[in-house]
This record gives sequence, structure tokens and C-alpha cells, in this order.
Amino acid sequence: MRRWPVACAAAAGVLVVLPFLLPHPDVPDFAAILAPPSAAHPLGTDQLGRDVAARMVAGARLTLGLSVAAVLLTGLFGVAVGLLAGASKGPFGAVLVRTADLLAALPTVLFGLLAAVVLGPGVPALLVAVCAVGWTPFARQAHLLTVRETGREYVEGVVALGATRARVLAVHVSRNIAPPLVAHACLRFASTLLTVSGLSFLGLGVQPPTAEWGAMVAEGREYLFAAPHVVLVPSVAVVLTAAAATVLGRRLSGGGG
Amino acid sequence: MLLRRLLPLPLLLVVASVVAFALPRLVGGDTDSVVRAVLRARVASATPDPQVEAAVAAQFGLDGPVVGQYLRWLGAVLRGDLGLGYVTRTPVAAQLGDALAVSGLLAGCALLLAAATGIPAGVYAARRPGGLLDRVLSAVGIAGVSVPEFVLAPWLVLVAAVWLGVLPALGWGGPQHLVLPALTLAAYPAALAAQLVRAETIDVLARDHVRLARAKGLSEGRVLWRHAARLGCVSVTALSGMFVAGLLGGSVVVEVVFGIPGAGRLMYDAVLARDLPVVQAGTLVIVAVAVVAGIVVEVVALLADPVARDREAAR
Repeated sequence: MRRWPVACAAAAGVLVVLPFLLPHPDVPDFAAILAPPSAAHPLGTDQLGRDVAARMVAGARLTLGLSVAAVLLTGLFGVAVGLLAGASKGPFGAVLVRTADLLAALPTVLFGLLAAVVLGPGVPALLVAVCAVGWTPFARQAHLLTVRETGREYVEGVVALGATRARVLAVHVSRNIAPPLVAHACLRFASTLLTVSGLSFLGLGVQPPTAEWGAMVAEGREYLFAAPHVVLVPSVAVVLTAAAATVLGRRLSGGGG
Repeated sequence: MLLRRLLPLPLLLVVASVVAFALPRLVGGDTDSVVRAVLRARVASATPDPQVEAAVAAQFGLDGPVVGQYLRWLGAVLRGDLGLGYVTRTPVAAQLGDALAVSGLLAGCALLLAAATGIPAGVYAARRPGGLLDRVLSAVGIAGVSVPEFVLAPWLVLVAAVWLGVLPALGWGGPQHLVLPALTLAAYPAALAAQLVRAETIDVLARDHVRLARAKGLSEGRVLWRHAARLGCVSVTALSGMFVAGLLGGSVVVEVVFGIPGAGRLMYDAVLARDLPVVQAGTLVIVAVAVVAGIVVEVVALLADPVARDREAAR
């Protein structure tokens, strides 16, 4: 478990250093089109002769960056909503839970499609689509945890000591609901990553020629038989990242996996 | 209780209808600009007659206050009149009906496949938590939720259609066209169902009624399936409700990759072509399916769980 931060730091270091060692991700090399891995291009080249390794790294920064940004945005908003709903006595909590359930029942791709119609395909539409529903699982989880925590004796204790409700929430409850929420954020990161790259695969998110894992799979798909490595590299990147985040999230939440 | 849980669902439909109604207004601007654009296309006149403008606005249902426009539009939708698609100039209702039949078949097959593999896998894994089978299934499950459709589909095509040559890579028509898309769609729900059933079944196996069933001498298989798995599947029912809507609307990737003329693909093409009537109708239908699935799930979950059923009957 203690190795995870080290592994993450190592991966981040690789993403920072590699661009200096690899060719530019968007510059075509027409002498080497769909070339297999070689010394000059460690993971081969794609249909325009662009370096697949360089594009994978460039795509990592975009795919992971967008996913992290989306998880942070939705996480902060969702947790704030859930915390307030869990602490309030009124019907707000029940309304929130039902709203979250209703939104969660709709496929995310529907929001991706609608956002692409209104805003035009691109990164803004992608973020809107991911955030439109992404906050609901956080809100539900935070609501559930807050309701559970506020019923505990230590809360009763600090209230008896004269703590205000705001202080109870901001200092005591939030500190105790943080660990399960971090685990939840890891799982959300995995599914957000798949949504981000999935919508980009469909051409509704990151637009070519920008390197993004889903968009790379889409571009390389036509050459799957002739040059499987063009699709293999981003495929493996997506799957391994999602699987790693899933395993980490489950370990953190105390489950197996 | 049941009613109170069901009541918000139709509300979602109302919200969806407002969104669908507002969509062209969000995209195409206000009434005046639409009318002007139509007039420019029909009569090459720079300064249109106000009377003609009003007539065109009325023809497109764009006259009067917005609430009135919405109600008239809603009335037409409820009568099944979803307008003509911009691209094909054919009724949207007919396009969508055909596509839904295709998507429904595909989603049904995928859901059956997912249930037929995921539920037994979860129950068997629950028999010996931490055992070899459990660990193998757990690893497969993580792969199942981590491999997205857009990755799985191309590789299935490469292996089954190109290298082995046993199945068609794309198209629609025969049962052979169903195999790869259904497999792709089923992977995620199967993995999720297996994990859920495993957790629930482990939980149920520790309960008193299972002890009683064992004590009265029932075979282990009967205890596992009849008494434990049955309860373990309750939450899967809830999950499947989400998947029905997700599969029907969310099979976009699969339908695009495999060239299937389903609702997801129709919606996707409509988005790219900015065919707004189709997008409006598609949105409504996907939300409607989610709502109906939600209602069915609530009822089925009630019927499947004897305790909840008794509680409901006592009310």
C-alpha cells in the first residue's frame, strides 16, 4: 500500500521526462508510415508516421489531466452538496438522493451527445457532459457518510462542548468522511477516464489531430489489421490506468481486489 | 412507500421534455432568426413582409409565448408526431421505431448474456471467498470494468473476424451479427453483476435463514441457489434497471463500431449532422426507457425480496 505514492510519482516523472526524449507527437514522418517499433520510434508510428510513444505520452497528459480535473470539480461540488444535505434536517437530503438516482439512471453518453449538439464537439462539451452527472455519486456518498457521522457520539460530544454546526461539519465530520471519499474518487477517476476517452473516441470530445487515448484508438482502428500496435498502445494505456485506479480505490475502501 | 419512490420518475420525463423542447432554441437561436433563415431560403428577399414572417412562424409553431409553443409541441409529441428529420425528410417516429427494435434486441441479448454469466460467477465466487475461483473471477471482474467498449470492440473484431474469420466484422441482419456486439456490451454489466452478487451472497450466507436451511438438511446446492443467491440477486435487479437505459442509449460506441442501425447510432449520426428533431426524439425516448426501467426495477425488487414484499403488504 505504501508503494502507491511512489508508483504515482514515478509515472508522473515519466510523463514529464519522456516528451524531451521522444519526437514531437504531432509531426508526421512520411518515410515511416505505420512502421513497427524501432530504435527511432520505440512503439512504432501511426498512419501519418507520427511517433506512437510520443502520442501516447502526450495523450496521457490530456486524458489524465481532463479526468483528474473532472473528478476534482465534481468531487468538490458533489461532496459540498452531500455534506450540506446530510447535515440539514429538512427534505433537502431526500430530494438530493432522488435527483442523484435519477441522473445516474441516464447514460452518460446521452449528456455527451447533447453537450456536443449545443456546444459543438470539443473539450468544453466533454467537460460539461462528464460533470453534468459526475457530481451525483459524490453527493450521494457524502450524504450517506454525513448522516452516519452526525449520529455518532463524538459529534454529540463536540456539540455539548459548544461547537457550532459549521465547525462540526468543517472540522469534525469532514475529517472523518474524507478517507472513504478519497477511495470513491479513485473509482470515479477510473470511470471518468473511460468516459473521457470514450467520448473522444466517438469524436465528441478531444478533436484530432490532438493526441488523446480514445481519439488515438479511433484513428488507428482503420489500420488495425496492418498495424495493430497503433491501437494496441492507447488500448493498453486506457485499460491499465483504469484497472490501476479501480484496484487502488477498492484497496482504499477496504474491499478486496 | 412504493408510490413515493416511483413518483419522481415521471418528473424526470417532464424535465427531459423541456430540455428536448429547448434544444433547437439553445442551438439555433431565437424565433426571429429562425424565421428569417427560413424566409431567406425560400424567397430571396432581404426585407421580408411582416405578414409572411408571422405565417412562417405559425407554420413552424414558433408564434406566441414560449409556454404555449412548448405545450403545443408536447401535444404533438404525445400524439406520436415527432416531426420530420432534417437529413432524410422522413418521420422521426418511424426512424426511431426501427432503430429501437434493433437496439432493443441487442440490449436484450447483452443483458441476458451478462445475467447468465455474471450471476452464476458471483454466486460461485461467494461459496469460498478468497479461494482460487474467487480470486480468478475477481481479476476477470476488474478487467471487465476496466476495458471500455471502444477498446474491446476493435480487438474482438480483429481476433474473431479478421484472424479467425468466424464472425462478420460489421453489419446487421443474421444472428451471427449479434455475437460480437452483444459480447462487447455484456462485459461491463456482467463484471459488475458478478461483484455485486458475490458481495450480497456472502452476506446472505451468514444469515440465520441459511443456517436454518442447512440445519433442516437441504443440499448445499439448494441452499446456495434457492435461499442465498435469490436474495443476493435483489440488488442486481436494481442494477439491471440502470443497464437497460444505459444499454439502449449507451450502446452508441458498439453500434458505431459494428455498423448496427440502432438507436444509439441514429442519435450519434443525428448529433454529427445536427439533425435536431432526431436528437430531441432520441433524448425523450432514452429518458422514457430509463423511467420505465426504473419503475419496473422498483416493482421487481419488491417481488423478489420476500421481506420487503411482506413489509409492503402490511402497509
